[in-house]
Amino acid sequence: MSSDYEFSDNDDFEYNDDEDMLDDDEGSASDMEMDNINDDFKIDKGPKIKVYEVEHDSLPQDAVVYLMRQDIEHISGIFGVDSEVASLLLRHMNWNKERLIEKYMDNVNAVSVAAGIAPPERSPEPSSSHGGPRRSSRLGFTKSSKSKSAEPSPPASEPFVCPICFDDTQQKTLSLTCGHLYCTACWSTYVSSKVRTEGESWITCMAENCTLVAPDSFVRTALADDTQTWARFQELLVRHFVSCMPSLKYCPYPSCTNTVSCPGAASKSALTSIVPTVHCGASDTHVFCFGCAIDTDHRPVICAVAKMWLQKCRDDSETANWIKSNTKECSKCQSTIEKNGGCNHMTCKKCKYEFCWVCMGPWSEHGTAWYSCNRYDEKASVDARDAQSRSRASLERYLQYYNRWANHEQSARLSAELYAKTEQKMEEMQLASALSWIEVQFMRKAVDESVRCRGTLKWTYSMAYYLEKGNEKELFEDNQRDLERAVEELSELIESPIDPEVIMSLRQKVTDKTVYVQKRNEIMLEDTARGFLDGRWKWNVDVEGFEKD
Amino acid sequence: MDARLRRVNKEIADCKNDKTSHISIDLVDNSPFHLRGSFDGPEGTPYEGGRFEVDIVIPESYPFQPVKMRFLTRVYHPNVSSASGAICLDILKDAWSPVLTLKSTLISLQSLLCSPEPRDPQDAEVAKHYMTSKESFEETARYWTQIYAGGPGKDGKGVVQKGGAKDEIAMAGLNKAHVDQFEALGFDRSKVIDVLRRMNYRGANIANINDDRVVEELLK
Repeated sequence: MSSDYEFSDNDDFEYNDDEDMLDDDEGSASDMEMDNINDDFKIDKGPKIKVYEVEHDSLPQDAVVYLMRQDIEHISGIFGVDSEVASLLLRHMNWNKERLIEKYMDNVNAVSVAAGIAPPERSPEPSSSHGGPRRSSRLGFTKSSKSKSAEPSPPASEPFVCPICFDDTQQKTLSLTCGHLYCTACWSTYVSSKVRTEGESWITCMAENCTLVAPDSFVRTALADDTQTWARFQELLVRHFVSCMPSLKYCPYPSCTNTVSCPGAASKSALTSIVPTVHCGASDTHVFCFGCAIDTDHRPVICAVAKMWLQKCRDDSETANWIKSNTKECSKCQSTIEKNGGCNHMTCKKCKYEFCWVCMGPWSEHGTAWYSCNRYDEKASVDARDAQSRSRASLERYLQYYNRWANHEQSARLSAELYAKTEQKMEEMQLASALSWIEVQFMRKAVDESVRCRGTLKWTYSMAYYLEKGNEKELFEDNQRDLERAVEELSELIESPIDPEVIMSLRQKVTDKTVYVQKRNEIMLEDTARGFLDGRWKWNVDVEGFEKD
Repeated sequence: MDARLRRVNKEIADCKNDKTSHISIDLVDNSPFHLRGSFDGPEGTPYEGGRFEVDIVIPESYPFQPVKMRFLTRVYHPNVSSASGAICLDILKDAWSPVLTLKSTLISLQSLLCSPEPRDPQDAEVAKHYMTSKESFEETARYWTQIYAGGPGKDGKGVVQKGGAKDEIAMAGLNKAHVDQFEALGFDRSKVIDVLRRMNYRGANIANINDDRVVEELLK
């Protein structure tokens, strides 16, 4: 964790920054593409961001703590209270300063009681008869050690017995301002049980019905040398703060303590025009979507549509659809029949009714035209068949998109294998030719790019499924087709066998293709993102946040 | 000595010394962390006269995490599962405080019997019964107390032997005439009881339930 984070010289941590970088960027995006072509593989990481990217910042824990402290100091200044009191007030109000100020001005006592700072009006007598409540004007806690000071401790004749562990040998005691005195060991176990087992940072006094909450310094004292639990407690505070701020998200990767700030995606309405794929500063692999938890990167399709698609894929209704499309009902007893071979002369297993699979009419009427049906055009059978073909067409449409989506999903799952295979290939290449390790890295780059593009392709199918027919959709599908073809060609090159004689030309081909694929991917992402900003995409279903036609 | 063990031992000893509350805590096996508590049904309630047993398991992190309690004696109460004895009580969950003891928790259970909270039920069917007709609910609760907790019978007359003949209709809190009515249509008696109980065929609610709907349920 970087401790040398600098806060003073810039205002980057201003999390409610309203600047919309997406619009500023449109003009220059195409110039950058031109540069990219000459620039082998490098993606421009300059200050300008692409239209399909969102401006975001990665904040280490310290930086978030700094933000919290700013809020605390602000409140502590306004109310003229201790910073620990301010902290509890803010935590109680889910860090909503405006609401806190309003409520606090309205009724100081009620808010203080609810925030666990002050005991309720009719304060209950402390359960322990030892060491009466010692109230102080500022928030704090009483710590006593009989060996050192006799003042707050009970008379020597009656040794302190902790009401929790019933231990009379414990000398050190602690209490919050309510005066409920317990031994330090019990406090320590209690606090760490709350923090570690329950993941709770709102730690109330141990006494029954006592609502006083332990301020940070008390927690610190109670935990004493247990720095691990203390660190966990601080992390819980930060997590709570982050969860209260719409413009902040905690990095979802295991044991990562970074926070991402993305003001552009803070509102729900923003999610209808951008796909906020972000990554935290810890690693380039810590990629996640700021708007949803569906997939780490579901560009180019927006959260709502991606969610709808996954829901559809999961839905069992497709089974029913299949039955509808692949079976017919016996026109006499209504049993469902699947024809799995043989001729059109059907005999219902159940009611022994004989009929023609093609026209659904009774077989007996076929007369001499035994195994070919010439009654196809009769009205009754036409109607029955029409209904069937409609549902079959809709299923086929769905399956067409689903199969392609699933195909790329499958490839992504196999990417680890592909990387291992490529690694091996790169070694073989080094042996078979004069290329150095650094010179065979083009293979890895090619795999990187194909994996990334398959991710994009996967989600384009979910988008295409919901796009309304028209020129826009055709353009979208053209881009999709170009990318798909390019990726397939690149994959083929990656898989091609190593022949020492053509290795140099293979290298050239792979490098060229990688650049081309990269460019196609850019075009796909950029055009789709711009389409969202321009409101170009129309859906064939109702999508959350979009106006109905 | 282990703080948990010391505390539990002291709690058991304290309970033994206290003769006024009529609350007892006994060991189930050799472990002091699996206990059985029992207390008297509170006076002036349908549970009066019964003795209620509770299964107590002391978790590893006791007293910082709440003790696990479950009724062993079957109880007809909105906040107690009539099947498993599971208890819905705040101090057994989030409102637990380390200063609470086994005895004070058992006393809380006792007072839970005095003041049911049907809007936050553990057993929805019992709660519905309570909301529909408190009188009928209390009659059933009294009958359960008599059958399972050794309580006195109606008007203090005699005690039914535990495990003796049980009146299934009274157990389900139903009216015999209603059960007979549907049984006469040729349905199995236990099925009729089951359906009527599930549909809460009691008191004012009967007016809301069409006979056809009952038959429909019976045919399912």
